[in-house]
Amino acid sequence: MLKLHDMFKVYRTDEVETVALNGVNLEIDQGDFVAVMGPSGCGKSTLLNIVGLLDNPSDGDYFFFDENVAKYSESQRSGIRKRNIGFIFQNFNLIEELNVAENIELALLYHKIPTAKRKQRVANVMDRMGIAHRAKHMPGQLSGGQQQRVAVARAVVGDQPLILADEPTGNLDSVHGQEVMELLRSLNAEGTTIVMVTHSPSHADYARRTVNLFDGHVVTDSLRAA
Amino acid sequence: MIWNNIKIALRNLRKNKLFATINIAGLALGLSIYIFGGLLVSYERTHDAFFDNSENIYTIGSVAAPDLNLGIDLMNAAYSAIGPIIETELPDVEAVARTITEEYLVTMGADSYYQMIRFADPDLLRIFSMQYIHGDNTALDDPSGIVISATAATKYFGTTDVLGEVVTLNNEFDYRIAAVIQDIPQNSHFNSMPVMDVVLDVIAPIKALVRMRDWDEAGGYNNLSMGNLTYVMLPSTLDGAWLQTQIDSIFERLVPDSAKETISSIFASPISHANLSIWDSLGLPIVTVVQLLSFLVLVVACVNYANLATAQALGRSREVGMRKTMGATQGQLLMQFLTESVLMASIAMIVAIAALEIIIPLFNNVANKVMTLDYMRTLPWLLVTTLLVGLCAGLYPAWLITRASPIDALRDLARKGKKGSRVRAVMIGAQFAISAFMLSIVAVVYMQNQKINESSYIFPRAEIYSLNRIGVDSIQDRLDTLRHELESLPNVDSVGWSSQVPYEQNHTTTNVTQIPGDEAGKFSIQLLRMSPEFLDTYGIPILAGRNLNRDVANDIYVDEETEVLNVLVNELTLTNLGIASPQDAINQRFFDLDEEDTLREMVIVGVVPTQNIVGLFNEEKPWMYLYRPDAFRIGSVRITGGNMLTTIEEIENVWDRVIPEYPMQGRFLDDVFDEIYNVFKFMNMTLAGFALVALSLALIGLFGLAAFMAAQRTKEIGVRKVMGASSMQIARLLVWQFSKPVAWALAIALPLAYLGSNIYLDFFAERIQSPIPILLAAGSIAVLLAWCTVAGHAVRIARSNPVLALRYE
Ligand SMILES: Nc1ncnc2c1ncn2[C@@H]1O[C@H](COP(=O)(O)OP(=O)(O)OP(=O)(O)O)[C@@H](O)[C@H]1O
Ligand SMILES: [Mg+2]
Repeated sequence: MLKLHDMFKVYRTDEVETVALNGVNLEIDQGDFVAVMGPSGCGKSTLLNIVGLLDNPSDGDYFFFDENVAKYSESQRSGIRKRNIGFIFQNFNLIEELNVAENIELALLYHKIPTAKRKQRVANVMDRMGIAHRAKHMPGQLSGGQQQRVAVARAVVGDQPLILADEPTGNLDSVHGQEVMELLRSLNAEGTTIVMVTHSPSHADYARRTVNLFDGHVVTDSLRAA
Repeated sequence: MIWNNIKIALRNLRKNKLFATINIAGLALGLSIYIFGGLLVSYERTHDAFFDNSENIYTIGSVAAPDLNLGIDLMNAAYSAIGPIIETELPDVEAVARTITEEYLVTMGADSYYQMIRFADPDLLRIFSMQYIHGDNTALDDPSGIVISATAATKYFGTTDVLGEVVTLNNEFDYRIAAVIQDIPQNSHFNSMPVMDVVLDVIAPIKALVRMRDWDEAGGYNNLSMGNLTYVMLPSTLDGAWLQTQIDSIFERLVPDSAKETISSIFASPISHANLSIWDSLGLPIVTVVQLLSFLVLVVACVNYANLATAQALGRSREVGMRKTMGATQGQLLMQFLTESVLMASIAMIVAIAALEIIIPLFNNVANKVMTLDYMRTLPWLLVTTLLVGLCAGLYPAWLITRASPIDALRDLARKGKKGSRVRAVMIGAQFAISAFMLSIVAVVYMQNQKINESSYIFPRAEIYSLNRIGVDSIQDRLDTLRHELESLPNVDSVGWSSQVPYEQNHTTTNVTQIPGDEAGKFSIQLLRMSPEFLDTYGIPILAGRNLNRDVANDIYVDEETEVLNVLVNELTLTNLGIASPQDAINQRFFDLDEEDTLREMVIVGVVPTQNIVGLFNEEKPWMYLYRPDAFRIGSVRITGGNMLTTIEEIENVWDRVIPEYPMQGRFLDDVFDEIYNVFKFMNMTLAGFALVALSLALIGLFGLAAFMAAQRTKEIGVRKVMGASSMQIARLLVWQFSKPVAWALAIALPLAYLGSNIYLDFFAERIQSPIPILLAAGSIAVLLAWCTVAGHAVRIARSNPVLALRYE
């Protein structure tokens, strides 16, 4: 599905030059559930941002469905992103001024979907995530776990084949964390490819494959026996 | 505590340099306009204060009778008979003096100049305390005494030691200089009446007019000219109200009915108001308007500040929450925020004053005024203004931010509330309403002025050069020669003589009827005394009949004995006479009602189209054109082709040959028009200045707010982009946020502007079709500018990388 070849990402600020990705080679197949692990600052988020087409690599190739997207412009990337990728963030990134339903609807707002159908899909996904009774709540009125459910709902409502999650359980207690992991697992079972960054080995166990990063390198890449 | 607050305020100011700069710049702009307006208003309202007794001096004005249709209601002048009546009827009055301003050819020493002279009753010098270099306030008691200013003395003689020097008027009449006075300061009505560009340089006794042109010293009821003031000085025991009652009764009892047809009452107004009387008469209360506008601009600036400060303060709600958690009361926090806004206002005030120190001298130079920023006198006002502005502008944001409970503040709920954003929207709306209101009025005023300007081109304005001061007998004898010589010049088309030229605001009227002596059927008609060539010169076509002719006896008005007179009339006169067509009018008659002993009969020999001769704001009226040589005051020379300036030189050569003893007094007809038109132009420019400032304030505010909101919404924008929103969509979202309040503002401002512009338009007889399209256009421009201001930001933010946007959290 996607393939990273000799990928570099270098951040230049005034004084320092940080090499966040240092020649990463990685291939992810459709239907995979990949956990990315590694110490803080090793480049996990950077990797995810590039995989998610939120950012461009400094060097290297990135084949997304056989299309080299490494040098695409923001508007080209935006098009691909919209159709193919859903995102889940550690801090949820819900918009405080919008209620739950509106937050989820946001993911469909920029696709050409008629209003009625959009509402229908939002309702469906809220049912599935068990947050239908919270539809009119504002994010500030929800617990962290509930907020992350909303964020997951927002990530899946668009039916994109790839979901990227950057420490989706980072701000959650273990019970809520587990809940979110179960959600991801069932999504994966339905065929969605998932790439997730996590610090928790037990949550990494939900994945079929674990990639360990260190200092911008892939150090181990292990498949868990099914 | 206060010191501590100031320290925090200064620190905050340094931290947010951009916002501090925008805030201070906006406030400083508003304050300088407000202070400038205030100074100007007080300057205009305290004219003539340097004369001793100035509070006891009044002028007598007249209210024009409503059916006179002069376009002006109040005149600062009174009939010349009124002054003497007041003097005999009211023994308690200290002194009364009339002035008549006329231009004469003055010869002093070796040089001759045309010079405006104020002819005055001797008591003028007892009413106004002049500073005498030579002579004293009895100078005008001598019927051949003349008073001149230091400037005039220096101009003519090169020195002020000129007592007893001979002054000759119109090459004929000798006077002696009986006093030399210091120049009267610029802030006196003598020197600063708008429209009348006259400085008090030469004062002559009114008896000189009696001697030179048989002027009736007892005064009469036939001439009412703006600027010919009648002054009354009261003892300090009596006041204006008393004077008003007395003159009301005098008007009632002693003014003849014929005069009451032109004026419906007379009024006393304090001398301090004399310099503004022209504006009163035009019905344009410019000083009040300036006061109101400068206040509105300050309001816009305050709202601007409140708006930005609110947006900014919300960013500090965590800080407030922490302070509250530590035990600060709302009062203490309010103090802190208010200290900050007062500090801002103080800095802005200092900037404003610095700016005014530069602006005022420039303005004085251009506007010929002597305004000063007198700190001793204005300090209390400046301090109070600073404090009020600081408090008013700072109160809302301070209250909003300090009112939240500590926990809400910590969770940053205030920022998320819908309420605050609504108030902000209202504030933006208010700013835009005010500036859109001003902008649209400016547009309407501008278009109306254009209309007036365009209409004036029914006459070949640009091709006419006028020759003034031909009313002297010895010149009139040579007018025919002059005309022949001038017309023989290659580029001179034709030369016409007349009692007035287009755009001059002279109204000489008489009442006429179709049936002799029929009071009920009378109507008023304006008179234009002209030579037959006048029609040619101005390209006025004859619709029926013929032009007047020198060789037809009845075509010429000789003197009062003339009983039958052939005249031309305009089409509007026909309507009044009930005549259907120009052809039918020929040889029809009508009669003059105003002549007391003889009944003059007018025969229509020709009809011309209805053209607005006085132009500008006046209505079209019935006009009668007659050939009356002794009434000629002014010549019109039509110049076509060739170089204008060379031709004028040739004209002057001819003049000097034919009339060597009087210098030529020429000017362009364009200048005659501009003299009055400039009043309206000035009005428009003043308005435009205010509108521009208000609009730029609103835009500055919007810019700052857009920057702030965009920064606040960074995360939201990031999320939206991750969800696939394009840059365009984000930009549109940000712009739309500001469009709603702006749309509301227009919905309120435009109807108000409609009403406001109608007040201006009502003043004109000939109006633009409808102000509505202009208002809409001006409104659209305001919106467009708002969009551009916001869009710049929106596009930049929208283009930014979503990852960067999300990292801020
Ligand atoms: N915008 C940026 N500018 C400069 N340096 C950056 C930027 N983003 C990331 N970095 C640097 O790149 C390196 C990798 O950052 P990244 O966010 O990918 O780490 P991470 O593995 O996600 O860490 P964590 O587990 O703490 O989230 C870090 O050293 C970080 O300081
Ligand atoms: Mg990270």
